[in-house]
Amino acid sequence: MNTLNSVGHPSPRIDALKRVTGTATYTGDLRLPGMLYARVLRSPHPHARIRRIDVSRAQALAGVKAILTRENCDVVWGSGDTRNKRYLFNNPVRFAGDAVAALAAVDRHTAEEATRLIQVDYEPLPFVLDPEEALKPGAVEIQPGGNLSPDNQGAHEPEVYRRGNIEEGLRAADQVFEDHYTSAHINNAQLEPRVSIAQWEGDRLTVFASTQGISNCHTEIARDLKLAPEKVRVICQFMGGGFGNKNQCHDFDLMAAMLAKQAGAPVKLEFTRKEDFVSVHGRWPTKQYYKVGVKRDGTLTAIQLRGYSGMGPYRKGTGGIAGIEVYQCTHVERSVAPVYTNMAVSANLRGPDFPQGVFGIESLMDDVAYALKMDPVEFRLKNMTRKFNDQTPYTSIGLEDCLRRGAEAFEWSKRWHATPGEGSGPVKRGAGMAMGSFFSSLGRSSAVIDVDSRGMYHVHVGVTDIGTAAKTTMALIAAEELGVPLEKIDLIWGDTDRCPYSVGESGSRTTTHTGYAVIQAAKDLKKQIAEKGLPQGDALLTATANTNPTVPGMARYSFVAHFAEVEVDTETGHVRVVKYVAAHDSGRVVNPLTATSQVKGGATMGVGMALHEELLYDRATGLPLTAGYYGARVMTHRDAPEVEVLWIETEDAYGPFGAKTLGEPTIIPSVAAVANAIYNAIGKRVKDLPITRDKILGVLA
Amino acid sequence: MSKISRRRFFEGTGAGIVATAVPVAGQQPRPAAQTPSAPRSTIQITVNGVPHKIEIEDRWTLVEVLRDHLGLTGAKIGCDRGECGACTVLLDGKPVYSCSQLAVWADRRSVVTVEGLAQEGKLDPLQEAFIEHDGPQCGFCTSGQLMSAKALLNHNPHPTADEVRAAMTGNICRCSNYNRYVESVLAAAGSLSASVGRKA
Repeated sequence: MNTLNSVGHPSPRIDALKRVTGTATYTGDLRLPGMLYARVLRSPHPHARIRRIDVSRAQALAGVKAILTRENCDVVWGSGDTRNKRYLFNNPVRFAGDAVAALAAVDRHTAEEATRLIQVDYEPLPFVLDPEEALKPGAVEIQPGGNLSPDNQGAHEPEVYRRGNIEEGLRAADQVFEDHYTSAHINNAQLEPRVSIAQWEGDRLTVFASTQGISNCHTEIARDLKLAPEKVRVICQFMGGGFGNKNQCHDFDLMAAMLAKQAGAPVKLEFTRKEDFVSVHGRWPTKQYYKVGVKRDGTLTAIQLRGYSGMGPYRKGTGGIAGIEVYQCTHVERSVAPVYTNMAVSANLRGPDFPQGVFGIESLMDDVAYALKMDPVEFRLKNMTRKFNDQTPYTSIGLEDCLRRGAEAFEWSKRWHATPGEGSGPVKRGAGMAMGSFFSSLGRSSAVIDVDSRGMYHVHVGVTDIGTAAKTTMALIAAEELGVPLEKIDLIWGDTDRCPYSVGESGSRTTTHTGYAVIQAAKDLKKQIAEKGLPQGDALLTATANTNPTVPGMARYSFVAHFAEVEVDTETGHVRVVKYVAAHDSGRVVNPLTATSQVKGGATMGVGMALHEELLYDRATGLPLTAGYYGARVMTHRDAPEVEVLWIETEDAYGPFGAKTLGEPTIIPSVAAVANAIYNAIGKRVKDLPITRDKILGVLA
Repeated sequence: MSKISRRRFFEGTGAGIVATAVPVAGQQPRPAAQTPSAPRSTIQITVNGVPHKIEIEDRWTLVEVLRDHLGLTGAKIGCDRGECGACTVLLDGKPVYSCSQLAVWADRRSVVTVEGLAQEGKLDPLQEAFIEHDGPQCGFCTSGQLMSAKALLNHNPHPTADEVRAAMTGNICRCSNYNRYVESVLAAAGSLSASVGRKA
């Protein structure tokens, strides 16, 4: 791979100084003159009909300026979604945390006090939490049309993928393995709580949002509030994480706008941490039933998955269960049902379809390898994907190197033992690994670059930086293509009035989509400078690129393999990850410093998902029990392993300088790698996430 | 059926409204609007070396006063319930969750926030190291991480990696950039050559 001038060199973030001095301005740090504070009243029931709402006492409280309920607000959130209709305030309420009313007052304390004065008469309804239960005859109907959530065409059918003939594949097998796995609802738990500030100037609305994508947020606010797009401006300068649940616009953006309109003053709507956990969304819980057919020599003949994903009562995510696509196999059938339940809503969390699905399939594939007395790494080398869905060639594939070089760096042959559970204990060690792939898309984006007479390049991109270092990545790409030092790049981001369209930081697409547009704009600008020279005085030269590249006849993917060694205390069930190697093929790495941080973070999040994170529900009451950082047990400094990162930089002819996607692959195989290491240590398999101490003691008993 | 009260959805404390002329952080606000029923006190508090005399509502937390009254928005409110550490500041040199301290308790005491780390325009070695070693990802927890690290180095200038983890374990980073934070603190302490690995 050729060496470049800016891209490929470790570079501190261009905004790092602001982030370490407390001067980075996040949405919640902003105050507008005359701004009101808003709070939301939420359902304490998992499912209930509202007979009556009485807001009179709240309205009478001094300082209360606006109140919204279903009676005076019929705004539909996500009105472009044909699968179900979700109002800002719903009746019936369908989960504990569903919004019932929102109000704005002169200060937070008054708003909180007023919210407690609203009286709601609920008629509790039966509820269901488990997606399989929700599909049984007689289950309470959560949405009209039944609990199997429809697809975009309105068909109430599971999402099905088939190739070959699954029955034939199972018949051709020497041995068929069958097992099932479950995964829990997990909250994104980004540090910055939800906040939105809305301000009207005449008929023009400005929303200071905390969003992963200003362009989508802008489009959807305009659509849901029935405003012309030019009447809406979205600004997000710094934002404190999202991991998928700050895509698009959210109900709180719309509530803030409607409250601000009613009050005639700017409104800041803030969520508490508990609301953030139960009222936005987290990763969908799943139930996964697999059958795998295999020949004696380890060749796969069939993979079948029947899965159920609990989507909560409103559809927002795909509900997909991914993982089997990383295997080569002639006969495959995958059927996944996205199901309405009365739990918190489920949607995107870093690699939405993946870590839970990879946990399922990689647990079972591990069992297959042990049963055939094959090394799990060898088994995967034999069966790993060579073409996407065994059909479409990849633009580049470094999976074999991820497996081989990852195993070598990890000292797999030394750490893994062929007989799981061997050793006398009480503390047992074991090693595990897993692999994965993630779509590295190319697609629509835009960039505008101006150059001034001083030779400063002003790069306008519609990104927000959610922690991925996207701003720095864009600046490095611009510097590289323009052939100027990084200091000559001035980045303008996070404001729909000043920046062109970007897909937003979801699907790990900013580098590949918007980075590509930056390159095209830079090429155009270089050409203009060559023809005309630098502009004089106050004049600017401007280049605009609207790009939408495709990869004809090929599939573009990133690949990954993770390796983990654990210590399991068989007396207490405590698990400690003692060694961790993450091998990644993301094509060319634009910024090794921040990319390595991404991998370390994603892998560590996965360790938490494997071992302890869960938004636990009380089955008797339908109420969430662990809404908060302590309860949901997210990773802390003391839990975090040292993650070693290995880059497998494949040459890829597409994307910006051959860069492929990165942010989400980092979590994909981590959960399964830890689970497989625990099995290697104790010789018993826990099939339900998270693998908590009680479950470990349970399988050992 | 057991009930959760509405109140439990609003465990967080709030802050009195303050208005500033422009939509930016860090502006000195006009006096807060008064809620008639709320008892008020006057406190004297030294923040980043500057003495302040402020009239507050007794129910206000320290972080509310710092952010909304003094315009110091570096300390973040991540949970408002003593779980995440994003609001960590030094109170008489000790790291505390400023969301879990009433402002009245800080009367006649001294507070250092992230804005007070740099001295005479020169960054603290911790801040330099956080930049160089890519400590912040989204950055929302960073101020708290810095203040916990500062408290640690003040009494233990050359900690081991495990001592860093122990001292900072009350500061959650959901980007989970824990490796980088530990690396940064060790670098600032001049002890990066010491293994960052755990005791096996």
